[in-house]
Amino acid sequence: MDKPPLALDQNFSGASEDFPALLRRKGLLQIAPDPTGAAGNHPFVQTESTTILAFKFAGGVLVAGDRRATAGNTVVYDRADKVLEIDRHSIMAIAGVPATAWEMARVLEHSFQYFRRSQLQEMSVDGKVRALSKLLRDNFGFVMQGVGVVVPIFATYDGNSKPEARLYFYDAMGAQFEVTDYAATGSGSPAVRGILYYENNWGDKKLQQLNEDEAIAIALRALDTAAEADTSTGGVDRSGKIFPLIKTVSREGITTLPEQKIASVFKQKVA
Amino acid sequence: MIEEPYRWVEAIANRREYIETQLAAGSPIAAVGYRDGILFVTLGRVRQKIFEIYDRIAMGAIGHPGDIERLRLAAIELASTEGFTRSAADVSLRRLAHYSLSPVMKSAFEQVYGAPYLARLLFAEIGSSSKEDLFLRIDYDGAIAADGLTGQPRQRFAVLSGTRQSAELMEKFLQKEHVTDGALPDAINVAFDAWSVGRMAMGENASKELPERDAVRKHREEELAKAGIEAAVLERDRKSAIRYRTLADEELRSSLER
Repeated sequence: MDKPPLALDQNFSGASEDFPALLRRKGLLQIAPDPTGAAGNHPFVQTESTTILAFKFAGGVLVAGDRRATAGNTVVYDRADKVLEIDRHSIMAIAGVPATAWEMARVLEHSFQYFRRSQLQEMSVDGKVRALSKLLRDNFGFVMQGVGVVVPIFATYDGNSKPEARLYFYDAMGAQFEVTDYAATGSGSPAVRGILYYENNWGDKKLQQLNEDEAIAIALRALDTAAEADTSTGGVDRSGKIFPLIKTVSREGITTLPEQKIASVFKQKVA
Repeated sequence: MIEEPYRWVEAIANRREYIETQLAAGSPIAAVGYRDGILFVTLGRVRQKIFEIYDRIAMGAIGHPGDIERLRLAAIELASTEGFTRSAADVSLRRLAHYSLSPVMKSAFEQVYGAPYLARLLFAEIGSSSKEDLFLRIDYDGAIAADGLTGQPRQRFAVLSGTRQSAELMEKFLQKEHVTDGALPDAINVAFDAWSVGRMAMGENASKELPERDAVRKHREEELAKAGIEAAVLERDRKSAIRYRTLADEELRSSLER
């Protein structure tokens, strides 16, 4: 609150400005370098060391992520939260550079609230999906410098749309892809996609028919498989008893599954 | 002409009179504390008057819709950027009012060639206990009246109305009837009674005394039949960081005593 508020200016038109634009006007959001120029001398390094996944099940959408954070070959943290609540019905899971990703989640969370408060209505699902897309596009200059790639998954639940559960994954440039059943991104995702494709086609049930326990079991198995071959994915830490973070979103809102619950499913169906 | 000081004072006095006339018809707003939060209540016919500003801050306003909108957006913008750069806990109503809104309203009011803000604002901020709740009113000239910033005995309610007489009677009524640690339905009833007291005190021929209880209830019934209720609460113990919630019409009407 250091500068005089522009909204009190006669020329102010608050309605046409979204929250990231407001932050930029106030110099609170770093502007990425021009992506075309930025590519020049920097080799493009794709680093998205982690595994996140999401799929629709009978109770809504399940979103899971491992807990490992790495810097090059070093494991720096084993309790990272990569599955973040954005609002009461929206979850963003992040693969990529944590600093950028967490900042992005923060901007997104405030964007939705800023919209609701200023426009006096909830932002539509399409608006929310697009808002994340725009953040990714604005960030692309950093991606081309090799320092800011983020590849998120976005899951939300809207009682007024059809289907009610909505699931999207993004590429680093901001293209959004809506999926019908499942999504996975990050370095361990090829293995996860294989498992989810297999389960959905030839498993006992389709993913969308799984109950909560069955869904948790599939998520744990998939992340453990990803960790088997990918050093950047933590999977399930059996000695340290660190489990992936799993959240579900349904009509009632977001539930963070308690660790005992995940541990007990792990014991019965995975270990 | 207004280079001369006494002309300036005269111009300010004229403008004060003009603004008071413009605001005089504004439907009152009552904000009362109850056991689990703070309730905002008004009755209206045409437009929304109670707003969410940030996680723990709500605003009620009377005045010109264009001016209210600019002040409301400014408050949201300031609170949101503060909450984003620091944290939601660092957003302070005190600073929002004293540092940002009040000076701007004061200078718009005193620059007699420009347009003043035709608006009166009532803010409340919910704390982690009722002792930390803050009620704060900003007038069109930037004057601030607050409850909760000094060591004085607290009253845990605040009102906003078109005329001074109406606001004073509402306060008098609430000093008598308001129970600090009541339940929400009790707060709803006392707030609507206070609204009625305020409404009855408006206009040229209104009485300067508190009306009888029966008269208040009768007036309330008549108004409720023809106008829409608007109410919102800031709830102290909510799972979510966002404490603001709009109350549905049914929830309100079912709490009203006949």
